Amino acid sequence: MFRSSNVVARIFERQVRTPSPGTSVHCARQFYENLFPSCTLYDVECPDHSFRKFTDDGQYLISFSRNHQDLIVYRPKWLSYSCKEEDCDLPSKAKKFDSFFTQLYCVSLASSNEVICKDFFLYVESCQFGLFATSTAQFHDTPAIGGAIQGVPSIERITFHLLRLEDGMILDEKVFRNDFVNLAHNMGVFLYDDLLAIVSLRYQTIHILQIRESGNLVDIRAIGTFCREDDELFLNSSTQCMAIADKSKMHQSSWSHVENSVHNTQPSSDNSFLSGIKQRLLSFIFRGIWNEERHNSMRVQGLKKKFYFHFQDYVDLIIWKVQFLDRHHLLIKFGSVDGGVSRSADHHPSFFAVYNMDTTEIVAFYQNSAEELYLLFEQFCDHFYATSRNSLYMNFISSHSNNIHAFEQLQSIRNKASSFSQFVKKMLASLPFSCQSLSPSPYFDQSLFRFDEKLISAADRHRPSTDHPIKFISRRQPCTLKFKIKPGPEAGSIDCQKRKVSSFLFHPFLPLALSIQQTMFLQPSVNIHFRG
Amino acid sequence: MGSMLGDWPSFDPHNFSQLRPTDPSNPSKMTPATYHPTHNRTLPPPDQVITTEAKNILLRNFYERAEEKLRPKRAASENLIPEHGCKQPRASTSC
Repeated sequence: MFRSSNVVARIFERQVRTPSPGTSVHCARQFYENLFPSCTLYDVECPDHSFRKFTDDGQYLISFSRNHQDLIVYRPKWLSYSCKEEDCDLPSKAKKFDSFFTQLYCVSLASSNEVICKDFFLYVESCQFGLFATSTAQFHDTPAIGGAIQGVPSIERITFHLLRLEDGMILDEKVFRNDFVNLAHNMGVFLYDDLLAIVSLRYQTIHILQIRESGNLVDIRAIGTFCREDDELFLNSSTQCMAIADKSKMHQSSWSHVENSVHNTQPSSDNSFLSGIKQRLLSFIFRGIWNEERHNSMRVQGLKKKFYFHFQDYVDLIIWKVQFLDRHHLLIKFGSVDGGVSRSADHHPSFFAVYNMDTTEIVAFYQNSAEELYLLFEQFCDHFYATSRNSLYMNFISSHSNNIHAFEQLQSIRNKASSFSQFVKKMLASLPFSCQSLSPSPYFDQSLFRFDEKLISAADRHRPSTDHPIKFISRRQPCTLKFKIKPGPEAGSIDCQKRKVSSFLFHPFLPLALSIQQTMFLQPSVNIHFRG
Repeated sequence: MGSMLGDWPSFDPHNFSQLRPTDPSNPSKMTPATYHPTHNRTLPPPDQVITTEAKNILLRNFYERAEEKLRPKRAASENLIPEHGCKQPRASTSC
């Protein structure tokens, strides 16, 4: 901690004192208390694109054309001018969008009947690759054929495009046909280092791909029907040898062969088998309940109550969402078919499973009301964010596990909650986390600034907009107002009746931010906030 | 000058002028105390290799709790306290 809040004094102090071990980034960040976006250019005239976000290394600004067919990439730069007088304002010719951004290129990604999903974007920082998605129209009530789940809509063609952002060259594509992947806000896709997990909701498969440095998307495995790469081969080769068993017999055999409850010796005939991942899950639940009791009769009672009573519910679970916990482990969220597609799935019960991709074993299984899982979430939230080793700054995003102020906010939500289990369900509903959904900007660091989380936060979501500016107040004494971010026109909007939403794009390390206020049927108004 | 600190600048030229450990005519009376172990109980095994645990702390917790649940219990217990209950999870650091 610096002794003075004056920037020059801090620079001198920095020359003399080394920060405490492991806090060099925190110390460097304190300079953001001195350098913040103090000036605002209101309602800047800018190209009519929908601006998506700054890449996490600050090199590019990603935007899409209004018709959602083209990708336009800008390079953020800094304006520079000099003036002779003592107190001078920015000249009007500098108050333009072009002063801050240079267009690098415009690439057409979507063909005539496709649109770019403007909420989807993943950045591979090590190679400066960008992953985008285009899709055709969505169809509901399509028949569930070929292993598809009933109740999940179908999209004729979803294409993932891998681009080199330096020059806009399209490196590779991955197409999913007659499938459904939840693209909104990166929900159905998770990127960890160079591994990509894409959840096909319709066919209940987790596709694991690798993004090579050459720019190729390589299939690694597909988890769902089969867990190991050679499961399909094994099952097909043993079809002719064994007799076909029907489902009731399978239940009986699991009763008597309690030690070996994974049914991988039976042949497959159409869909009489449960999928591989489901079998792993059921056998894990089975063994857990079995080991709760010592005596066989008690074990059987426990199984009747807890396993077989809910058997069909467990069988009907579908994969909702997936994230990586590290290169070998996935956190999978299971739920009912109804909640899988809708965004607000809070009312549906859901389950979490930790799955080891290499051993194909389920390591842990919890319901969404499990206090044990909540305690792990409270203590180790940062590990759920699964930041790769390459992006160091991602370790410094404030969460309730690494920041006392964020933790106090969590405690206040806990105290206000009507019941602890409701609170647990609400908190665990945010798991698994969506990839790259938090801005690494130091202005969202809770130890530096205090701001209203309902109006603005590191998460890139649209928020209801107010006419009042959003204040960023310093955390350290004296707790003064440092800067304000005001979306919308300077004088406030003329029509207060219309609902407005705002979104904020903060540059990861420069004191530069865009605030975009959208009103229905009107062109959005873009403000640029920068350090003048 | 021959002092250990050489000709480094200082506010006051008389600072550090008394300190001359390299001067052989005035050997320093202060020899640093050395400590020798009286037992070898705390010696590491000769083939010990120290590496970072591949699994992060969250996964380690998941595995520990799973091992407890899957191990047959002596007495039916609702409370799942981890075996090493005395250990506190360390706050994750960047280093």
